[in-house]
Amino acid sequence: MDVLLIHLLNSLLYASVLFLIAGGLSLIYGVMRIVNLAHGNLYAFGAYVTAWAVGSVAAGASVPVWLVLLPAGALAAAMLGAILEPTLLRPFYRRAEEYQLLCTFGLLMILEDVLRFIWGPYPLSASTLFESFGSLSVGESIYPTYNFLVIGVGAAAAVFLWAFIYRTKFGVVLRATSQNMRMAAALGVNVNRVYIQAFTLGCFMAGLGGAIIVPSQSAVLGMGVDALVLAFIVVVIGGLGSLEGALVGALIVGFVREAGITWFAEIELAVLYLIAALVLLVRPAGLFGRP
Amino acid sequence: MPAATLELDRINTFRGPAQILREVSLRVADGEAICLVGRNGAGKTTTIDSIMGLLPVRSGRVAFRDRDITRLPTHERALLGIGYAPEDCGIFPDLSVEENFQITSWLASARATARRGLDERVFSVFPEVKDFMTRRGLHLSGGQKKMVAITRAMSLVPSILLLDEPFEGLAPVVVTRFIEAVRAIKAMGISVLIAESHLANATRVADRLYAIDRGEIIFQGHPRDVFANEDVMRTIRG
Repeated sequence: MDVLLIHLLNSLLYASVLFLIAGGLSLIYGVMRIVNLAHGNLYAFGAYVTAWAVGSVAAGASVPVWLVLLPAGALAAAMLGAILEPTLLRPFYRRAEEYQLLCTFGLLMILEDVLRFIWGPYPLSASTLFESFGSLSVGESIYPTYNFLVIGVGAAAAVFLWAFIYRTKFGVVLRATSQNMRMAAALGVNVNRVYIQAFTLGCFMAGLGGAIIVPSQSAVLGMGVDALVLAFIVVVIGGLGSLEGALVGALIVGFVREAGITWFAEIELAVLYLIAALVLLVRPAGLFGRP
Repeated sequence: MPAATLELDRINTFRGPAQILREVSLRVADGEAICLVGRNGAGKTTTIDSIMGLLPVRSGRVAFRDRDITRLPTHERALLGIGYAPEDCGIFPDLSVEENFQITSWLASARATARRGLDERVFSVFPEVKDFMTRRGLHLSGGQKKMVAITRAMSLVPSILLLDEPFEGLAPVVVTRFIEAVRAIKAMGISVLIAESHLANATRVADRLYAIDRGEIIFQGHPRDVFANEDVMRTIRG
């Protein structure tokens, strides 16, 4: 029973981080109709910034200081997003999708090199924060306390996003713009401003995913591409552009991956791809996507 | 001559490589109802899109209350007081009718004076809209969508309303209801520019008519004069 509970917690931990990444990806696509391939490295950027802030800049500080610095990666990714959208992406909105894919793929590569240029090729760690939280007893097993924080942040992000999009003025404007950008503009909505806000929020989520997970695993080159692939599996299953889909997709991938690691480690990724392929065959727009 | 709310001066507009509007000039005076009549593909919607800034004007000038708005972004034109109800109504399908209105009311809320008593004025045109405020845009009938589109445009406190094919797809009795609504809007001192395919409807509501064919204005004048012009009648009716 304890083992099952640990598996459940691990699934939720993984799903929380995946939701943050895939939710941001889906939000950006839902509003702007851009498949942001650079999203994975915005997650990595968030991880690197937090690892640098917690593990290097404030290495000798106390836990409260580290906790204050934890969202630094998310804020840095959001700021980067706020710069990238108007400068690199906006000129491509009126072009064919291939240009946008090429541009964001190029950005993915550039960001990878930027990370290497700033922080070098070696992993960056913020494990002192993870270790300072200690462990909790779960039945006869022990479980890292920090992981509960990650799960809590993931759950809080899902609730916050739902409330933000369905219960605020900005959420109404965001949904209107995503459904009919021309009409929103004709009703007085500054679409460019909405785009930059949506992109910044999406990047914030990716950065938060990286920032929150980096104390329990190091920031390494290539982590962005790995995360991007899994985020795509999530949005294919849930439906690109749907936040509910990102949540359900993240939970499915989280549970299947945990089960895969435990019982069929060799084909863990293959099973995930298979599920994504099945969803594509049965419901091409994803479980919550609109055909 | 009354002051012009809206004036187009020899505008040329392209869709991709194709030139759609050729030297189109048009004037809507304060409180005036103007119909732009023409067959499908004549350039009516392109004219409306050019006024709203949804299509860039290649050359010529668009002026709103003597202010050059040719290069102004669409949302700024809307906030200046140009209301727009497109042919497909542009209702946000996943938003409730109330949320469809909230967008405009929030944006117009800065103009507090203009908003005083606005709701009564806006909903006096189509009071039945209040009955389906909680319904999602997706679940509205064609006529309801048109009512919401016009009422929503009204809630921006416009000086002029651009209505693209407002009577299309409506039963004759409902068309009469909409024509009365346009008259009521005009009575509030709001100018109206209607793009319309059916001359009969246009003549029931317009103070003046412009006829457009292949992107060029081929007639302008009083509705009764158009019937006397055989060339124009032949062109409009195809």
